[in-house]
Amino acid sequence: MNSVRLWYKKSGLVIYTSHLDMNRCFTRAVRRADIPLWYTEGFNPHPYMTFLLPLPLGQTGLREPLDIRVEEDISPGEIKNRLNSVLPSGLEIVDAAEAVNKANSIVSARYKTDLLFESEGEAEGFSAGINDIMSSGVLNAEKRSKRGTKKVNLCDYVDSFSAVCEGKTVKTDAVLATGTQNNLNAGLLFETLCSEFAAEPEKTSIVRTDIYMENMIPFC
Amino acid sequence: MYPAELEKYLMHVQKPGRYTGGELNSVIKPHDSVDIRYAFCFPDTYEIGMSHLGMKILYSLVNERDDALCERVFAPDVDMEAIMREHNIPLYALESGKPIGDFDIIGFTMQYELSYTNVLNMLDLAGLPVKSADREALTPIVIAGGTCVCNPEPMADFFDITLPGDGEEVTNELIDLLKEYKKKGAAKKEFLAAAAQIPGVYVPSLYEVSYNGDGTVKEVTPTCSAPAKVIKRNVADLDKMFAPTSFVVPFLESVFDRTTVEIFRGCIRGCRFCQAGFLNRPLREKSPEAVEAQCRAICDSSGYDEISLCSLSTSDYKGLEKLLTNMLPWADENKINIALPSLRADNFPKELMERLNSVRRSGLTFAPEAGTQRMRDVINKNITEEEILSTAAQAFSGGWTAVKLYFMIGLPTETEEDLKGIADLAQAVVDKYYSCENKPKGKSVSVNISLASLVPKPFTPFQWEPQDKPDVLIEKQNYLISCVKTRKVNVSRHVPWTSFLEGVFARGDRRLGRVIETAWKKGCHFDSWEEHLDREKWTQSFKECGIDPYFYTARVRDLDEVLPWDHMDYGVTKKFLQKEYIKAHKGETTPCCREKCSNCGAARLNGGVCNELGKTVV
Repeated sequence: MNSVRLWYKKSGLVIYTSHLDMNRCFTRAVRRADIPLWYTEGFNPHPYMTFLLPLPLGQTGLREPLDIRVEEDISPGEIKNRLNSVLPSGLEIVDAAEAVNKANSIVSARYKTDLLFESEGEAEGFSAGINDIMSSGVLNAEKRSKRGTKKVNLCDYVDSFSAVCEGKTVKTDAVLATGTQNNLNAGLLFETLCSEFAAEPEKTSIVRTDIYMENMIPFC
Repeated sequence: MYPAELEKYLMHVQKPGRYTGGELNSVIKPHDSVDIRYAFCFPDTYEIGMSHLGMKILYSLVNERDDALCERVFAPDVDMEAIMREHNIPLYALESGKPIGDFDIIGFTMQYELSYTNVLNMLDLAGLPVKSADREALTPIVIAGGTCVCNPEPMADFFDITLPGDGEEVTNELIDLLKEYKKKGAAKKEFLAAAAQIPGVYVPSLYEVSYNGDGTVKEVTPTCSAPAKVIKRNVADLDKMFAPTSFVVPFLESVFDRTTVEIFRGCIRGCRFCQAGFLNRPLREKSPEAVEAQCRAICDSSGYDEISLCSLSTSDYKGLEKLLTNMLPWADENKINIALPSLRADNFPKELMERLNSVRRSGLTFAPEAGTQRMRDVINKNITEEEILSTAAQAFSGGWTAVKLYFMIGLPTETEEDLKGIADLAQAVVDKYYSCENKPKGKSVSVNISLASLVPKPFTPFQWEPQDKPDVLIEKQNYLISCVKTRKVNVSRHVPWTSFLEGVFARGDRRLGRVIETAWKKGCHFDSWEEHLDREKWTQSFKECGIDPYFYTARVRDLDEVLPWDHMDYGVTKKFLQKEYIKAHKGETTPCCREKCSNCGAARLNGGVCNELGKTVV
């Protein structure tokens, strides 16, 4: 039995597929690719497959980790090639390698978010406003979790934030707490920012670009 | 793909993946590369529609053609519909995101009467007039197939064409004809008259209906040389028929998240309440070799790990043993689960079931349908209590502890005795568990009774029967529940009002079109969803149209009455159904097709079990 860490890109129409459905989707893809997956040995055997950091609905991920276990000796490169020939469009394995770091060492991730507005003026106003509010260090919101809803200061979950305005588009770059300890869904951050300024962007695209451990050391 | 205007709102609706397309194996063709563009519509939500086998077959069939394309369309859920209406986004097809009003054919599959209002709503969302007569252009032509079109009359105002019977062959013929007429620049009327000449094509607008003083149908008269009787299409040899080897695999979990392979069409049994059994006669089997090849191909292309072998009565499949013997090693090796729905209690393949369990165990469900032998004879469900109990005993010694039993109430000639019989039978199954020596140690048994109510359907011997009114059904349900004396038996029941509305449309006539339109205008849709069914609006709609719904459900029909669907011909003759009706009331049974031919009339359609018998008898 061998563990392999796959890195996949999720973009296009697939971003509207929820985490649970992604699980099913990859299980089927692995079967189509004829990859000798290792099955758990319980009453109801199922393949071993773990998404380390579920990507919220509606967001793009450039390099998302997924651990699988295979029964035979099959090279990570071969797994990558086989999967890429059967994955639906929008999903692509960009890398496959032995797992180096443990999943619980993830603490943050970088999100690049573009918000498209109807006019340049609207974009400029929004960009300036959110830079101000984020540097003030206070942005309160209701955060939902399994334990219920609580009021939190979202800025406590933000390591860095910057926004620039390019024409009708506001481009932001943020490093947010991510992982099992502290986690801020980038969707919640931008929803809150938009409602703060009563802004209604035509399109909001959130892209997770990098995943980090302590001191922004890339997770691999 | 979805229209660009929708982008902004996708994250505001539940399960946006239902509206985006882009699933594995979906077929995307440029619209200008084909002559005919077919929008295949399922009048319910994505999750339900994506489980439907008929759609998968016709989708692949049309896309096989170089000159045509087929895209999928589902009813948007209420949240999405509100957004589409607010922002004037017309109903679009999932592959291209293009509005379905621009397609050449809009085809609906009609599986359930309670989806009628959804059809109107989808046409309206597409920006089209709901009535056939108000759509003047040649295209889009609005067609429908599926079980419900055996009585096309309640929807006659809305559909341009309905297709009784198997859709595979006639779909291609219709596409060919439309291609020709579109090229000619013909008028819609000309095309419809020509289409009516294709066997198995019904054009409702070419028929005039007159009524008697008592409200019953007097006569149905064809015009423009349309045939007096429209004979359903029947695919004689399923092995030679097109079968898809790849299915669109949804990202979202659909109702049945597995692949389905058909093993036969039709049924030999002749249960008198079962519409599917009579509509699909004669029984036609696929060879085990063809089934296995399709199973392997579909699992390879989809990656599913569960196959459901689909038919009306799986254990009647002659090739079952051979198929499973050949297929099980492959299934085991690839960890594929094979599900056998629709098993009968009298020919339950015990050894096979044990082997099937090697992969995964699913629940066990039987359908005795009625509680007493007398009642089972009336409905011609030819199984005995001993058979049910011995099958249950087998299951219990095989390790099962939960059994689900399907029953129907509101059956003709039903008495309190018969209702109590259901509770008694469930009790007998519980007792059987405790007397069973090999039962699982230290576990309790649970018997779940699912109670449906009879909706008499066209083309069954019960098509003349009055249907119990909702309050009577509730009384019967309550009485039955009072007869259950143990907590090991659970009873789940259906809402009688749903069955009532289903009953109205199942045996309705053309005059109901107005009611459907009125109710839809009042906001009725998704009527099969309990939370959406609005009784008040429906009651009001019947009233406004001056129609008594009980005329269609509660009335005793004369055996010689002209029925609104008499001009449809599904092979089985009215004379045979009349004989069956009389036998039912005498409690006499009819043997299954393989025991003895009862001359139902389906033999003239050619194929299947009728030929099988012919060979053995001669």
